[in-house]
Amino acid sequence: MTLTIAAPSKGRLQENAFDYFARAGLDIVQGRGARDYRGAIAGFADVEVAFLSSSEIVGQLAAGAVHIGVSGEDLVREHAGDANDRLALLTPLGFGRANVVVAVPQSWIDVRNMADLEDVCAHYRAKRGERMRVATKYVNLTRRFFNEHGVTDYRIVESLGATEGAPAAGSAELIVDIATTGATLAANALKTLEDGVILRSEANLVASRAADWTPDARTAARGILSRLAATELARRSREVRARLPEGAAAIIAEASERFAAQPEGEAGGAVGFLCPRDKAAQLADFLLSKGARRVGVHNVEQVFEIPNPLYDALEAKVFPKAATPA
Amino acid sequence: MASVTAAHRAARLQAGERALAFFESAGFGRVEPHVLQPTGPFLDMSGEDIRGRLYLTSGSEGGELCLRPDYTIPVCLLHLAQGGGDGEQRYAYLGPIFRARAGAEGELIQTGLESFGRRDIEAADAEILALAMEAAEKAGSKPLKVKIGDARLFEDVISALGLPEYWRRRVRRGVARGLPLEKVLDSSGLTPFSKAGVLAALERTDHDGAKALVQDLLAMAGIATVGGRSPSEIADRFLEQAATRLDAGIGAEQLEALDRFLAISGHPDAASRQLRELARSARLEIGPALASFEERVGFLAARGLPIDEMSYSASFVRDLDYYTGFVFEAVDAAAPDSGPAIGGGRYDGLARKLGASVATPAIGAAISLDRLPLETAA
Repeated sequence: MTLTIAAPSKGRLQENAFDYFARAGLDIVQGRGARDYRGAIAGFADVEVAFLSSSEIVGQLAAGAVHIGVSGEDLVREHAGDANDRLALLTPLGFGRANVVVAVPQSWIDVRNMADLEDVCAHYRAKRGERMRVATKYVNLTRRFFNEHGVTDYRIVESLGATEGAPAAGSAELIVDIATTGATLAANALKTLEDGVILRSEANLVASRAADWTPDARTAARGILSRLAATELARRSREVRARLPEGAAAIIAEASERFAAQPEGEAGGAVGFLCPRDKAAQLADFLLSKGARRVGVHNVEQVFEIPNPLYDALEAKVFPKAATPA
Repeated sequence: MASVTAAHRAARLQAGERALAFFESAGFGRVEPHVLQPTGPFLDMSGEDIRGRLYLTSGSEGGELCLRPDYTIPVCLLHLAQGGGDGEQRYAYLGPIFRARAGAEGELIQTGLESFGRRDIEAADAEILALAMEAAEKAGSKPLKVKIGDARLFEDVISALGLPEYWRRRVRRGVARGLPLEKVLDSSGLTPFSKAGVLAALERTDHDGAKALVQDLLAMAGIATVGGRSPSEIADRFLEQAATRLDAGIGAEQLEALDRFLAISGHPDAASRQLRELARSARLEIGPALASFEERVGFLAARGLPIDEMSYSASFVRDLDYYTGFVFEAVDAAAPDSGPAIGGGRYDGLARKLGASVATPAIGAAISLDRLPLETAA
């Protein structure tokens, strides 16, 4: 296969990722039933989809075994110290939102922030001769964040599931974990520190710098990314159409200036704009005030344009470092 | 390319053999701890920060193991496993250590020596530095420049200043990490006392009263206590905070004395005069630590080390979790900004932290053969 894209193999993240591609007209088809781990995108013969668990996606991207993947930013940042060298975030996707936070027992009423935590950790060690234990699967994120806040008297206890239960179970004093609403933390009598948000994460389109970016792989990536970018631009835009009286040119100039609207040309008084979604209504009012009798605001399905921000991001972030094909 | 690397490595190993032979002739028996070590002691001693520099793996029984990142802890564990022994025990080593570093070779060659159990502290301090310097010379090193420091003197000065424990800890850590004093003493991250209602209420109460209050507060709020800290510990911390009013920072006189102390550097004899003057004018009770410092300088001179070419720095303390007294390092005199080729110091607390029943005086030095500027090296 020329280009391999890694997608989550199950759960809500998979549903959201499939939807994201489907909106762009890219239908991911899973071969021979739901348990097959390889799939394709209808209409793209040289693109393969690999279904992997979230943590594998990052590993496979870093190893260069897949070109592009959908993964949470938390896992990308957590993956080894040199992850930033091998992985490039292309764009946030607007789903899979969650924060990586430092949480302590609610009963620690004297601990509000990281400065308090530093003090308490040091006390604990001075008194008991042991370091406080932090349960987490985010070993690297924790180490970096604690280091920035001068917290050194702690030990990490690696936890691969049900981390929020560790303090109650007695296997750690505090945790660093992913939290979407905070309800799980509260149910376990834990609270987030005021300045304890390590990362506000969401799903991202991630590219591998280590993958083999052959000319064919780049062409395939351009095809996929231009559809995704066209859909994203369409989602954020509205097409505004109207018929104007005399002096259309001056009105068009003013509209594009005031509403970031891109004119699509004018013929016999009929004008069209592509404008940001949240400015469409204002633009419509403006056109009415300039003599239009009726203004239509339309959804558009896709807007292909040059430049293509996603492919440009790939080119800027990935290709200078990727091995140049022979 | 490969043959150059092999030749380079062979030259480094030969230099190491010469240094080791010298250590052995001075009565330090060679030991060879395992390359694979339990990870716990390294993380306990140096904190989680070191984890990123360890090559980690797991044992067949599930324990976490690493390739040894230095020799001191493995040698100390070996010493303890052999029962410690009475009187002085002297060990030497030569071999690879492993530290993950971005864009650099992870395997480094080290030789060095460790002495456990010797009670004449200052003489032992001087002997170890002198032996390390002589071993470097025997190995074929170009001239090195020595920098010395004193972790005990540093501790005694910040104790004598009467700083609350919170600030002592901040100063200790900050200085060891090379941070400027104003950053170390920044109190803006702390909850202001005026806003901490409970603290103010506790200002004139005792432990039992505070504990009862904390328990009542938790009960009223319906908060379950989970995890390792008890209401009693929370109460104690409230009391300490109420007593010390940390948000006010440290006093102007204390700050000035600390500033003056940390600025002292240069010739050891001149530094010693400045330290005495500081102790007198700031009324710091640091007599025993000062006497120890001066006695050590005397022993260094008696060992024939060139005191005039050494520099002392009050803020040079290396890692204060680890070192408890004399600390030193030596760099290529022709390239003072290169990393230290020799490093070492006194770590009297290590054996105890690794499980010994009594504190054991201990001092050691390591020579990095990858950093040692060899005469023969191109």
